[in-house]
Amino acid sequence: MTLVRAAALSLLLSAGFLPDAWAHGSVSNEDDLCAIQIGYYKAHFKIYLPRTRQHRDYCEDLPGTGESIFVMEYLHPGLGEIPVDFRIIRDTTGMGRFAQLEHVKALGDLEPLTVFYQPPSVKPDVFTVMHHFERPGEFIGIVTAVPDGGGEPYAAVFPFRVGFIGFGYWPIIALLVVGLQLNYLYMSGRFPFRKRARLSSVPTVLAAIACVLAGTLAVPNAASAESWTSAGGLYRLAVDPEPSSMGINRLHRWTLHLTDASGAPVSGAEFEVTGGMPEHNHGLPTQPVVTSEISPGTYRLEGMRFHMHGYWELRIRVAAEPGNDSILLELNLDPE
Amino acid sequence: MRRSLILFGLLVGVGLVTLAWQWRPLGSPDWTEAEIAEMRSLTLASIASLPPDPSNAVADNQVAARLGQALFFDPRLSGTGGISCATCHQPARKFTDGRDKGQALGTSKRNTPSIVGTAYSPWLYWDGRRDSQWAQALSPLEDPAEHGGNRMAYVRLITSDAWYRDQYTNLFGDLPDVTDAARFPSRASPLGNDEEVEAWEAMRADDRKVVNEAFANMGKAIAAYERRLLHRESRFDRYVAAVTADSPSGDTGIFTTDEAHGLRLFLGEARCTECHNGPLLTNNEFHNNGVLAYPGDLPDEGRSEGLRKLRRDPFNCLGDFNDEDDPYCGELRFAREGVELVGSFRTASLRNLEGTEPYMHKGQLKTLAEVIDHYNRAPLAMIGHNESEFPLSLNRRQRQQLEAFLKTLDSPIAADDSWLKPPSRNTTVSIARGERDGSRQDR
Repeated sequence: MTLVRAAALSLLLSAGFLPDAWAHGSVSNEDDLCAIQIGYYKAHFKIYLPRTRQHRDYCEDLPGTGESIFVMEYLHPGLGEIPVDFRIIRDTTGMGRFAQLEHVKALGDLEPLTVFYQPPSVKPDVFTVMHHFERPGEFIGIVTAVPDGGGEPYAAVFPFRVGFIGFGYWPIIALLVVGLQLNYLYMSGRFPFRKRARLSSVPTVLAAIACVLAGTLAVPNAASAESWTSAGGLYRLAVDPEPSSMGINRLHRWTLHLTDASGAPVSGAEFEVTGGMPEHNHGLPTQPVVTSEISPGTYRLEGMRFHMHGYWELRIRVAAEPGNDSILLELNLDPE
Repeated sequence: MRRSLILFGLLVGVGLVTLAWQWRPLGSPDWTEAEIAEMRSLTLASIASLPPDPSNAVADNQVAARLGQALFFDPRLSGTGGISCATCHQPARKFTDGRDKGQALGTSKRNTPSIVGTAYSPWLYWDGRRDSQWAQALSPLEDPAEHGGNRMAYVRLITSDAWYRDQYTNLFGDLPDVTDAARFPSRASPLGNDEEVEAWEAMRADDRKVVNEAFANMGKAIAAYERRLLHRESRFDRYVAAVTADSPSGDTGIFTTDEAHGLRLFLGEARCTECHNGPLLTNNEFHNNGVLAYPGDLPDEGRSEGLRKLRRDPFNCLGDFNDEDDPYCGELRFAREGVELVGSFRTASLRNLEGTEPYMHKGQLKTLAEVIDHYNRAPLAMIGHNESEFPLSLNRRQRQQLEAFLKTLDSPIAADDSWLKPPSRNTTVSIARGERDGSRQDR
């Protein structure tokens, strides 16, 4: 009796905890990212019902009709350079969510089934399409892209339903019922539990010590003729910002003094500047460029700008005779 | 039975204590030095002097500003003769129009931004597709949804109106002689309808050049006017001056305690100064804040498309109409591309909030309360990446305090009244706003 019960319970429990991996044609959900595969091009895929569901995005079936916006954000940048079209047809394949490209091809002429079609166009940043679904039903979306260099267009096919409500909260309710039953069994002594091991406090204490140490490490203030050593030890860099108090929201320039490990100025170097605010997950607001070498080892970096106070990281990659290396500048910009 | 009563009583007690704690009476905040330094950086006392605009030789010329003002309020600067800049940029509303999207000949694509203080911004428009006030002024004039005119017709207007002709020649030298109808059609523009484009392309290259120059000069006069639209101090500025003058007690009588606590939230927990920094409370940079798409519109790509448009604009800093020899054009030259620009828009100044709702690039958020609620919930963006995607977890009282503070930022316009209406010579075109609204309803 207990065995059967345990088996039934574990089945119920696992139903609530099914992993999210599934596929609808060329659209799949992996690691909580809904992606569409068009040939070898991949894009992040989501559908919105902004008027009725605001910011909620859907990857498969839409819970209602109305204005829907399909969004493909390119994971492969090449998608932004080639013409892409988008078609929605009524699903007459009979395959439902198992429809694949060959089933769609077998339908022949798609025109009479088409409810929406956007002709091929190049969308450099993101691909968005809007369609108003009047009635619920089963549909198939078809995205084709003509790859760079021509040839057979790649196609992605994703079947979806409009107006499908889905299971909603029932799995959670089922879990609650199961939990209550389990609790009853435990309380009445009929279901032995193994005592849960207490979390060891050692890792927590260690982590706390590490945090305190990290916090006390001094982070250099605004750069002013300070110098940094490159990661591989090949170079030392000193920086003079102009004006010397950098502030924020000012387009300004830096003078870079590049020397090698022995202190001799390095001429003819090439630089690449990237960076941002890691805590805010954004990059630099401009694209700074080293525009000239003023004197041997002294360079002018133009187009610097910071648009927020806080912690910035700047990564300057250097390519010169001693070799390729990179320098990390950590800057704390406080209000003056 | 008794046990459950006690439990119930405990729960109610905890609930009441939480509520009471949230709404407990507060004194004025004790400002820290860091907070004082930060709030000082947000006041007009810290504002830099007006940056020069060397691309516009008449930028600081008062005569040019009066000409620009006349043009700004002149409805003849349109295809129908009924739309002026002031149709959407209404002085009484801080040069906005109270609508989701601008409404002129047609419906504009986005919310009408205020002009006040834009002389400090390197970029104009929500997507930054123009890099000077004068280049921006030219754009709506030829937009079929806005003024619906064309540059050839505008140059003809200036030439045919005696006062305009006098003002123009004083400032810029001779106007082109457009009497030869064979060389100068009545309507032509590279951005017009098919007929106008054809007429434009049929013109001689040097004739097109003189028309472009005159057209650019009209924009420069309008910009000279717009440069004068700056802010005067707000109650917030007075508060900070009082706080820093006396001891930092925050108890100055200028702010209520709610407003003062709202300021503290603004500087800290609500993370507003990450983008709304500087004396105009904007860093004039582009950020994606995850606002929902406008009903019926695809999500707006914002700066990513705007930068492309800017690079194509013949009136940009690197174009032929920049009055400066060998201009630096650092903003344009070092402007950043990249995926972060998708769905990003220029940070709006918070000194123009009063009476300028609805907010955001298509007026999606109708009130300040909605704006604060939006940032509090921090939804993911439909396209691109919402930079403010961290929910703030502000409770109701804090949101109210923040809203109360935002209202103290309202800054009146520094220019005197004579600048906020059509200049006196244009008696025929000075139409009362009520009339104008009425005539639009007939359409």
